[in-house]
Amino acid sequence: MSALPRRIVKETKNLVKDPVPGIKTNIPDDDNLRYLTVEMEGPAGSPFAGGVFSLELYLPEEYPMEPPKIRFLTPLYHPNIDKLGRICLDVLKDHWSPAFQIRTVLLSIQQLLGTPNPDDPLLSDVAELCKNDNAKYCEVAREWTKKYAIPEPKE
Amino acid sequence: MAIPRSFRLLEELEKGEKGGSQVCSYGLADGEDVTMTKWNGTILGAPNSAHANRIYSVEIECDSTYPDKPPKVKFVSKINLDCVDQTTGEIIVEKFNTMKNWKRSTTMEDILLDLRKEMITATNKALPQPAEGSTF
Repeated sequence: MSALPRRIVKETKNLVKDPVPGIKTNIPDDDNLRYLTVEMEGPAGSPFAGGVFSLELYLPEEYPMEPPKIRFLTPLYHPNIDKLGRICLDVLKDHWSPAFQIRTVLLSIQQLLGTPNPDDPLLSDVAELCKNDNAKYCEVAREWTKKYAIPEPKE
Repeated sequence: MAIPRSFRLLEELEKGEKGGSQVCSYGLADGEDVTMTKWNGTILGAPNSAHANRIYSVEIECDSTYPDKPPKVKFVSKINLDCVDQTTGEIIVEKFNTMKNWKRSTTMEDILLDLRKEMITATNKALPQPAEGSTF
């Protein structure tokens, strides 16, 4: 096994030590800095506000020449995120640049929650609703947030 | 620092969705199963054999030990091969090298392609085959 590139060590340790506001990163296994779990707060003013969404992230062997792999573990109702938590976002695909960081990607994902892109959807039915009846879309998304992403208050 | 199970399965899913191979296919049994445990596969029968033009269905189960350990594989379509249990359709791991000598890098596609090769080994080629379309 080759030694971990310094960039990965630096980036992951920094993320844990100095997190992006509203985005908490953990390293579940200290021996594997390529695998991270993330707790992301839904952006204020979006139907995801108040929710905390789990994600998992993996830095492939080719990182940073290739983008990180990342998916949501918490279900959410969004035209660019499918039922398996896969995310359709340009910076995770053709618009990736090695100059970006994990931090950049996490912020872009959080931003995507507040500004869905129904013209480049993964789920066409959600995209249709988002475009044609935005109020209804927001209502369903809020319901899902409440159901899956807001922890039950402790008794 | 090997790729975690979930991202490995997502890679395999993506390849399968793009139509990985001409002679086999595979995908999630339930497209909403976030654990990605149960898969369905098909294998196109090997040419120049009793299997030519047949399509075999298999079920693949990738539990939490995958890909460190091989998945459980079971034929749904009836087929007579040395490595297939003739009552259940399950693969007998001891008799199927790809799963017996499992490597973490081996994929579900590799399994399906190697099962196809099993159809035309000397021992298997002589075996009589059940009627097309019958199931275990």
